[in-house]
Amino acid sequence: MKQLTIALAGNPNSGKTTIFNDLTGARQKVGNWPGVTVEKKEGRLKKNGYDLKIVDLPGTYSLTPFSMEEIAARDFILNEKPDVVVNIIDAANLERSLFLAMQIVELDRPVVFALNMADLAKSKGMVIDTEKLSLLLNLPVVFTVANKGKGIDDLIDTAVNEAESFPDGKKGRKVIYNREINSMISHLVEELDRDFKELIVYPNRWTAIKLLEDDKVVKENLQQISKERAAVILKHSEEFRHRIEDLFQDDPEIVLTDECYGFIAGIVKETLLISSRKKADISRNIDLVLTNRFLGLPIFVFFIWVMFQLTFSLGAYPTDWINSGVSLFSSFLGSILPNGLFKDLILNGIVAGIGSVIIFLPNILILFFCIALFEDTGYMARAAFLMDRIMHVIGLHGKSFIPMLMGFGCNVPAIMAARTLESRKDRILTILITPFMSCSARLPVYIILAGTFFGDKAGSVIFGLYITGILVAIASGRLLRATLLKGADAPFVMELPSYRMPMLKSLMIHMWDRSRMFLKKMGGVILVGSVVIWALSAFPRNITFSRDYSKAIDTIKNEVSSQILSSKDKTLKQKLKNEARTKIAEIEKKREQERASKSYIGQIGRAVEPFFKPVGIEWRSGVSLIAGLVAKEVVVSTIGVLYGVGDKNDPDALKNALVHSGMTGLSALSMMIFVLLYIPCIATVTAIWKEASMNWAFFTLFYTTMVAWSASFLVYQTGLLLGFI
Amino acid sequence: MMNIRHEQEIKQFRDLFTGEGVDEFENRFKILEVFLRIEQHVTIEELVDHLRQDKISMEPDFVKETMELLCEFGFASKLKLNNGPVRYEHRHIGLHHDHMICTKCGKIIEFRDEALEKQQVQLAAAYGFHMLQHKMMIYGICSDCLKKRELIISLARAKQGEHLKIESFAGGRKAQIRLASMGLRPGDIIDVVSTQGGGQSVIASGEKRFVIGQGLSRKVMVKYTEDSQSFGGHDIDDCAGVKPVKSMLLSEMKQGQEGIIARVGGHGVLRRRLLEMGINRGTKVHVEKYAPLKDPLEIIIKGYHVSLRVEEASHITIENIVRENNS
Repeated sequence: MKQLTIALAGNPNSGKTTIFNDLTGARQKVGNWPGVTVEKKEGRLKKNGYDLKIVDLPGTYSLTPFSMEEIAARDFILNEKPDVVVNIIDAANLERSLFLAMQIVELDRPVVFALNMADLAKSKGMVIDTEKLSLLLNLPVVFTVANKGKGIDDLIDTAVNEAESFPDGKKGRKVIYNREINSMISHLVEELDRDFKELIVYPNRWTAIKLLEDDKVVKENLQQISKERAAVILKHSEEFRHRIEDLFQDDPEIVLTDECYGFIAGIVKETLLISSRKKADISRNIDLVLTNRFLGLPIFVFFIWVMFQLTFSLGAYPTDWINSGVSLFSSFLGSILPNGLFKDLILNGIVAGIGSVIIFLPNILILFFCIALFEDTGYMARAAFLMDRIMHVIGLHGKSFIPMLMGFGCNVPAIMAARTLESRKDRILTILITPFMSCSARLPVYIILAGTFFGDKAGSVIFGLYITGILVAIASGRLLRATLLKGADAPFVMELPSYRMPMLKSLMIHMWDRSRMFLKKMGGVILVGSVVIWALSAFPRNITFSRDYSKAIDTIKNEVSSQILSSKDKTLKQKLKNEARTKIAEIEKKREQERASKSYIGQIGRAVEPFFKPVGIEWRSGVSLIAGLVAKEVVVSTIGVLYGVGDKNDPDALKNALVHSGMTGLSALSMMIFVLLYIPCIATVTAIWKEASMNWAFFTLFYTTMVAWSASFLVYQTGLLLGFI
Repeated sequence: MMNIRHEQEIKQFRDLFTGEGVDEFENRFKILEVFLRIEQHVTIEELVDHLRQDKISMEPDFVKETMELLCEFGFASKLKLNNGPVRYEHRHIGLHHDHMICTKCGKIIEFRDEALEKQQVQLAAAYGFHMLQHKMMIYGICSDCLKKRELIISLARAKQGEHLKIESFAGGRKAQIRLASMGLRPGDIIDVVSTQGGGQSVIASGEKRFVIGQGLSRKVMVKYTEDSQSFGGHDIDDCAGVKPVKSMLLSEMKQGQEGIIARVGGHGVLRRRLLEMGINRGTKVHVEKYAPLKDPLEIIIKGYHVSLRVEEASHITIENIVRENNS
């Protein structure tokens, strides 16, 4: 079977992802572009006897080396030489789309245009003469309506055909620059031909244009090949740049862009027919409300509120089902497994660990569904538009709002989402403050603690925690921007795409991507964490107890059985039995608690007690916080293990245990604030390490701990002073 | 008389060149002979052509080298007129002439005026200046061209240095918008600063300079003004009085206003980003709205919506501002 590589390129919001999903379905592989931390999506498709590898290039507006996405896209086309590049063009945005298209054509690969969403363009009164467009640019043009799956087969056939017709690349029709610039380009091309023949694999004309644009990456490439020869050609290109400046009284980049847009304007004039019968722009009408001066922000807050209600109120039902399921499974295992260490490991270590995490999967699925909905409808860009003024206060881009919003789901993908930011400083700043966004893994802790101690007000308390996280993020942002990350923020020039009907398939894929990431993390890191924590609490096995619990239990049993035997009344018998059961449970719990306090983890907890004492966190909670470094979900499962409620069928067992442990509302609040702000889970720290640097990861460890402790201290001590207990 | 002079020069040439040990004497001699026969200012190409007519085939580089030698030894002198290619003319020792150059047909008229020469020496002396040599070139339009001259021509045909008045704009709406966006309008007095650069011409109106591409310049119809000699000065005030060019920053525009981008400032990433998003000179902008907190603003450009910060918008200059009628 013949293999072909098809690269999908296009502007953001051009429907590229939809086409990619149409082509590959769920058969996607998500990885990283080499050298840069930009997500790379690949998929496979078998069709007409071809094995097609589809690579989704990052969505960009051009191929300048200003952002990592653009470098990744351009390097892929230049170095990997895909058999054909499918350039997805938003038909309603022909003029702007052609700017990237003309840069792709310069790279000398066979190119196919997919005019996407032509139906939408038509409804706006735009008709595109594809034959003429195809003729003018000398490349095939295909109509697609990706969200209805139209034209996709045709697109693939055309792409394969084009790839097969031009196996050695294709020189498309290029932008015609004016005579003066053209002669400079040909001069540089000649020089490249002479001095760098067969040394650079890139098209010479492209390299020449990039030299005129002062492209640093291209210049470095030449210098790596030969310092001396590069010096000569770079001197010439510099002279040419000066000449362009003299002639046009403007930067060479501006002159070249103007020339390119001039060429494009010509093509658009020839091929685009705009009828005067202009239908109302629906998107614009929607924005009259959604980004309205007065209504915009309230509506935005409302959407966020709805998102939370859906995630946590609606999510409560499946959560309950999973809860019961895990309990059933646990008691089933308990009945078939022989007593001993192994049973203990399975039930209290593994099942309890995974169980208390999997329970929150519905919340995460719904949350990411909502986020995907925001993204796919185009509301996310509006959110950035509405929020930029606020984000700008922290010295961040409105786009930073998007990763930070994602942070509410899970910090790991959120930190990855910070890749959309162009400036490295902006990216690092966003990455550093995103962990203060309360991720969904922290929610279980709030639900347990707030649910137990604040009853009806639990919702408000949790909402308050989320707001606190945001406020701390803002303060940190300002602080870091003023100290460690000084400098201007990146430009906020962002397209507000037309509103679109979201597609279920794309929502599902998006949701599945994120959830899979979460599950992977859970399966690996959390399981190991759970077992380690269980082991720490289960060992050493031979603890010398302060009193003989077994004997006490036996005594009660003997007493009760003799009492039962002596009494004849059935109701009295039952009453006696129940009393005995409670007494025994009480003693067992005490034994378990003593055992736990003398286990390894108890010893660790006692050791760090002085650290947690001023913030009102007792040693068991302290231990669970330490265990929570593995992953925040582990905080809950550790609390479960430490309070000895692992194998209880009663879902309220943990709550009861907490109430009886002497924890108060105030210390619960302090604990929740600590959970909100302290060191994010290992996976997040790893993400920071990878996306920013090792130093920033260590900085996060230190900084977050300091912030969390200070905030909890403030709340707890103020609370004590005001008389709350 | 000329021929006698040429005979003398050939003799001198022979003596000098053999004395100096210049190689390929015979070939160079042939070039000199042909050069002396032509009573015109010639370029290297023309000289090569003339040689070819005499069945002498020579490399232009060799011819050029020889001409440089001839200049060095004082048989020829270089002339660079009207930004054209380098021309060579005979240099007759002790005999000087000046030039009038037609900017239209490129015709060169040699003249010698004793009164003028005397006047120059006097003038130099008045400044305590000892004149060694001088060159005088008068640019203008020759009598033939003047006869053929139309009253209204396109800017593309205007020559460097001409002083013109814009009559009208031909071409489509786009071209008109483009020109209007540059701040040019009928009635403006312009100077053609340069016509170099591959069909581009640089013109000046008032204190502003504009670069106009070949295509666009064909669409600007201009008329020769009566006072073709006057440069700059008073007419700047005149055109300022016609109609002030209204321009403001994008950040100062109000919701619902429209205009044409005249200039994109800013630096580095911002400027690059603006350009690649299609926010470039000559593009129409509509200010859709400001965000609730007054900061980013939303504009419509090339048929799509873009948001940018007020601070970023302040790098963009807009002209021809109108308020949308139907809003």
